[in-house]
Amino acid sequence: MSTKNIEHIIELSKDLRWQIGDDFHDVLSESIYAEASKIVESSVKKDDQKRRFRIDAQIDKIVTSKVWGFPIMLLLLGVVLWLTIIGANYPSSMLASLLLDMIHPMLKNGANFLDFPWWLSGFLIDGVYLAVAWVIAVMLPPMAIFFPLFTLLEDFGYLPRVAFNMDALFKKSGAHGKQALTMSMGFGCNAAGVVATRIIDSPRERLIAIITNNFSLCNGRWPTQILLATIFIGAVVPESYSSLASLSAVIGIAVLGIFFMFFFSWALSKTVLKGEVSTFNLELPPYRPPVFWKTIYTSLIDRTLIVLWRAIVFAAPAGAVIWLICNIYIGSESIAAWLVHSLDGFGFLLGLNGVVLLAYIVAIPANEIVIPTILMLTVMVVGIGGGAGAGVMFELDSVTATGDVLKAGGWTLLTAVNVMLFSLLHNPCSTTIYTIYKETKSKKWTTIASILPVIAGFVVTFLVAQVWRIFS
Amino acid sequence: MSTINPVVSLLVFFSLTILLYYVFRPTKGIYFLLKKNYKSKTKTIIEDILKLLYHNQVSNKNLTTNDLTDKLNYNNQLLIESISKMIENELIYMENDSFRLTELGNEYALQIVRAHRLWEKFLSEKTGFDKKEWHERAERKEHELSVDETNKLSELLGDPKYDPHGDPIPTKTGKVAPKKGVSLSELSVGAVGRIIHIEDEPEIIYKQILAEKIHLDSQIRVVENNRMRVVFHSEGEKFVLAPVVAGNITVLVLENQAVSEENIMRLSSLQENEVAKIIGLSKECRGENRRRLLDLGFVRGAIVEVDLRNPLKDPTAFLIKGTSIALRENQASKILIKKE
Repeated sequence: MSTKNIEHIIELSKDLRWQIGDDFHDVLSESIYAEASKIVESSVKKDDQKRRFRIDAQIDKIVTSKVWGFPIMLLLLGVVLWLTIIGANYPSSMLASLLLDMIHPMLKNGANFLDFPWWLSGFLIDGVYLAVAWVIAVMLPPMAIFFPLFTLLEDFGYLPRVAFNMDALFKKSGAHGKQALTMSMGFGCNAAGVVATRIIDSPRERLIAIITNNFSLCNGRWPTQILLATIFIGAVVPESYSSLASLSAVIGIAVLGIFFMFFFSWALSKTVLKGEVSTFNLELPPYRPPVFWKTIYTSLIDRTLIVLWRAIVFAAPAGAVIWLICNIYIGSESIAAWLVHSLDGFGFLLGLNGVVLLAYIVAIPANEIVIPTILMLTVMVVGIGGGAGAGVMFELDSVTATGDVLKAGGWTLLTAVNVMLFSLLHNPCSTTIYTIYKETKSKKWTTIASILPVIAGFVVTFLVAQVWRIFS
Repeated sequence: MSTINPVVSLLVFFSLTILLYYVFRPTKGIYFLLKKNYKSKTKTIIEDILKLLYHNQVSNKNLTTNDLTDKLNYNNQLLIESISKMIENELIYMENDSFRLTELGNEYALQIVRAHRLWEKFLSEKTGFDKKEWHERAERKEHELSVDETNKLSELLGDPKYDPHGDPIPTKTGKVAPKKGVSLSELSVGAVGRIIHIEDEPEIIYKQILAEKIHLDSQIRVVENNRMRVVFHSEGEKFVLAPVVAGNITVLVLENQAVSEENIMRLSSLQENEVAKIIGLSKECRGENRRRLLDLGFVRGAIVEVDLRNPLKDPTAFLIKGTSIALRENQASKILIKKE
C-alpha cells in the first residue's frame, strides 16, 4: 500500500471518529465491563447465596459507629505508641550499653594497641562508629516494636476503617482519609510514613501526604521532647504535678504537629498542588486473622531493616563530619566553635542558640543524635568539665546532670520550649528526604517537603521568642 | 550576646510579611501583574477582539466600536490601535458602523476558540483543577498555544468533539459541529429533555449553576416555568432556578419515544436496605475518576447497595460485586441508579 493511501485511511478514521463523538469510548468500555460481569454471573458459582451476613458486618457496625468509632481509634493509637515508647527503653539501654559502653572503649583500646594515630582512631571510632552505634541503639528497638504492631492492625483489616472514619476531616483540608494512616505511621518513622503513602492512589493527595508527613513527631524526636519537658517544663509547676505537666507538654507538641499537618495540607491543596489529578476511592476489605509470624518477619525486613540501613548509610558520614568540625582548627578556634559563634545571633532571634542550630545542621541524618551533639557542643563551647572530648558525642545517665549542662550553656525555659517546637518543625532527616525523592522522583517536591517545615519552624520559634520577651 | 528589641523585630517581620504578600499574592500580586504586562499585549487584545466578533457573528449580533470598548476590559487607546492594525492586516472590515470578520479573521478566531475549548477539555480530563477555574485558565492559555501545539493537544485528547461545557470544538480544518437545543427557560411545562450545554460565562451565573449541582447530560422534566422561576425534576431531585440562570442551560428536547429511562436517581440518595441497579456514570464524572469507578465495577447493570454509613456522614461505603467500596458524596452523586 502506498503511503498516500495509508494517510488517506488515517484521515478518514479520524474524521469518522469525530463523527461518532465522545461517547464512543465510554460506551465501548462500559459494554466490555457489562459483558464481563455477565460472563462471571453465568459461570462463577458463589457459596453464599444469601445476603451478606458475616461477622465482618458486626465488627464494622461497632468500629464505624458514632459512639465507639473514635474512642476505639484513639485507644488503639495510644496503646501502640505507649508500648513503643515504654517498651523500647529496655532494649535501647541494653544496646546502648553494649555498643557504646562496651564495644566503643574496646575499639579505642584496640586502636591504641595497633598504634593508630589519634586522628585516625578519632575519625573512625569517635566519629563514624559512634554515630552509627548511636543510631542503631536508639532507632532499632522502637521501630522493631512499632512497625510489627502497626502491620498487625493493617493485616487484620482495621486500618482501612480508620481511613473511612476520618475521611471527612481530611477532605476538608483537601487530603485523603488514608492520610490518617500514613500520619500515624509517621509517629513511628517519617521515612516509613512516606513509603506508606503508596496506599494513596490519587496523585494530589499522595503528594500532600508525603510533604506533610514530617509534621508527625517521629520516634527519633519523642525522646528529645520527653527529656526537655521533664527538665524544664516539669520544673515550673509544683513537684506533685511535674510529671503531669511534662506529659501534657509532649502531647501538646504532638497535637500541634497534627494541627500543622492539617493546615499545610489545606494550604498546599489550595496553591501549588491544585492542578494535580485528584481521585477518591477506599476499599474496605474483609477482616481476616493476621498471619502473626509472617507479619512480624515481613515488617522487620521490609520496613525496619530498610529504614535502619538507610539511616546508617547517612549517619556514618555525619559522625565523621561532627568529629572533623570539632577537631580541625582555624586559628585558635575549631570550626565547630567558630560556627556556633556565628550562628549565635540568628539563634538568639529565634530564642535558640548557635549550639542548637549547629546540632540541627550536622544531625540532619538522624534526629536521634541531636541531643548527644548538643551536649557535646555545649560542653566544648562553654568549657565546663564532663563530656568525652572534642567531637565525641555523649549522653548523661541522669536527667538532672543533663539539665545542669544545658543550663550552663545558657538555656532558659524559653530555649527549651523553642527547641521542642523546633524539634517538631524542622527539615526531615536525610533518610526521609532521600525516601521522598525516591517516592516522588521529583526534585521540586523534595525541596518543598524539606524546606517548608524549616520555614514554619523559624517563623513559629521567632514569634514565640519575641512575644515571650515582650511579656517577661 | 547581642540583644535585639523584640518589638522592633516583630515590626520588621510583619512588614516583610505584608510586603511579600502584596508582591506574590495569587493573580493580583505585583509580581504577577508585572509578568502579565511583560508579555506582548497587542496579540492578546487582537485575539480577544476576534473571539468576541466570532461569538457575536454566530448569534447574529453586530458589534460597533462602542460595544468593543464596553465589553473588553482594555485601555481604549490600545484597543483602537489594535483595531486599525487588524483592518490593515485584513482580519476584519467595517460594514454599516459594525465590524465583520474576513475569511482570514474567521479562521484565526476559530483557532483561538479551538485552543480555548481544547484546553478546557484537557483541564477537565488530565488535571485536578476545579471546574470554576477551567474558563479563566483557558482564557490565558489560548493566547499561548501555537497551531502545532493545539493539534498535538487535540491528538492527545483523542480529537474530542465537545468541550466539558458541551460546546463544540472546531476541528483542524475549521469544521464546527452545529449547536442544537433550546434554552431551558423557553421550555414549556411537561417538556422532557437532556441538558447538552452549560454556559460558563458570565462567571456569577455559572457558579450558581455549579452550586446547584446540575450535571451535563442529565435528563430533566420541566414542572413549572414562569417569570419568577423555572422548576424541573432531574435524577430524583428537584431544582429551582431563576429564569436568568435557566437561560444559560441548553436542553435538547426529547420526543416521547426517545425518553429512555424514567425514575433515574443519583447513588448519593440511596438509603440503607435499598437495592438498586446502576444505569451509568454521569458525563460530569471525568478523566481518571471515571476510569477508576469503571475499574471498580460501577458499570451499567451492576447491583449496588449501601454497606456502611460513616460516623461523620461522608463518605459512604457501597457494596458492589461483593466488595465494599467507600465513595464521597460528590462522586456518588455522579453515578446514576434505578431502584429495584
